[in-house]
Amino acid sequence: MKTIWVITQKELGDYFKSFKAYIILLITLSVFNVFFFMILEQNREASLRDMFKLMEFLFIFIIPILTMSLLAEEKRVGTMEFLLTAPIRTNDIVLGKFLGAAAFLTVLLVLTSVYYIVLEIFGDPDRLAIFSGYCGIFLEGLFFVAVGLLTSSWTKNQVIAALSSYAIIFAIYFSITFIQYFEGPINAVIRYLSVWSHTENFSAGLILTSDLVYFLSAIGLSLGLTCLSLKRRA
Amino acid sequence: MINVQNLNKNYGTTPAIKDVSFQIKQGEIVGFLGLNGAGKTTLMRILTGYLPFNSGKVFVAGHDMDHDHLLAKREIGYLPETPPLYPSMTTVEYLLFAGQLRGIARKYLQERTEEVLAQCDIGDVRHQPIGQLSKGYKQRVGIAQAIIHEPSILVLDEPTDGLDPRQILQVRHLLKRLEGRRTVILSTHILAEIEEIAQRIIILHKGKIVADDSLENLLKTADGPAQGHKRLEQLFLKITA
Repeated sequence: MKTIWVITQKELGDYFKSFKAYIILLITLSVFNVFFFMILEQNREASLRDMFKLMEFLFIFIIPILTMSLLAEEKRVGTMEFLLTAPIRTNDIVLGKFLGAAAFLTVLLVLTSVYYIVLEIFGDPDRLAIFSGYCGIFLEGLFFVAVGLLTSSWTKNQVIAALSSYAIIFAIYFSITFIQYFEGPINAVIRYLSVWSHTENFSAGLILTSDLVYFLSAIGLSLGLTCLSLKRRA
Repeated sequence: MINVQNLNKNYGTTPAIKDVSFQIKQGEIVGFLGLNGAGKTTLMRILTGYLPFNSGKVFVAGHDMDHDHLLAKREIGYLPETPPLYPSMTTVEYLLFAGQLRGIARKYLQERTEEVLAQCDIGDVRHQPIGQLSKGYKQRVGIAQAIIHEPSILVLDEPTDGLDPRQILQVRHLLKRLEGRRTVILSTHILAEIEEIAQRIIILHKGKIVADDSLENLLKTADGPAQGHKRLEQLFLKITA
């Protein structure tokens, strides 16, 4: 337990030391700001529904960059040998890294709470819908982080790690667009696997067990596969 | 302290370690000698629990590496061939991180860090990012992380590789200071070095042990007129021919 925390702290520290954190925060928050006011002006509605769509879309591009170095860099520099010969469980390493990236994601989402405050001051937003929307976007972000961690465990090369997670996340995210070309059971499978079908309810203010199961099992599966991939070395 | 029985390790279908058995007692300083690709690094990686093996048994301080690897790893300090350092961390940050991972209690951590900084003579670069350090410093920071938790066994893979003569001397002095307190396993292909530090030599060739004896006995078996480390060199070349 303690070692997980030690690794989490190290990862979070690394983000802010390497300026990666500041650049990512600057870019995402600038985009969010611009769109927040544009959306507000157009919809004239005290809701963050469209903001969540935008965050989701940006996460697809940002998160692989956040996660690509997590394990690939340790492999390249040779510190993986240092971690794996320390008296700690492989699961703790994976969990520590995951929580480090998750903590950064949390920081990013907490900073967007400004939009909620603005809505609260100037309007009467549906608090429940905003809360469930945040739950959805957070779970989706964690899922993408877990996928990024998994692909980072496959290679020494950060670029390959990032590209692989783009491939997987694109497939999960955009597959629903092509659903009209499929029929029968395949159609149902694609609909279930796509993140869209599961974030929809969250942004409408519904937290359903089936959606929670989808995200939690997807995160669990990705983390489990990451542990296996680390244990299976040469 | 270390007990290896009929160890086999393959990379795919290529055998890297073939039926290796040996025992190392507490306090012994053992040198692994061998040509490049003889299996020194592979063997060290197995002893430290980094690489899984195909068959055989490895016991470290009485703990089975297969089942109790966490207990076994607790006893080991390990310096891999390239020191495993995080370039963006400062020396102190890195040593604190290493200490925490090895489970040193918080109240002793600061004290232990100061001790190894002094022991390895790296106190003057404590606040410098490791990425900016010279090779000699990096190597010594690597040794510092290996001894910070006071392990009973120290495994060093080519600790003086790529250093200049003065730095080699510094590292050797450091190892001399550790002598007697710990079981040390080191690999190198510098024969003079092994002669100076190790009491016992295990020569590996193509994944097998071809000689395992004290330095004196090995030198006795070497015939020929050569003296000193030339003599060991002669023997080494003969065995690995």
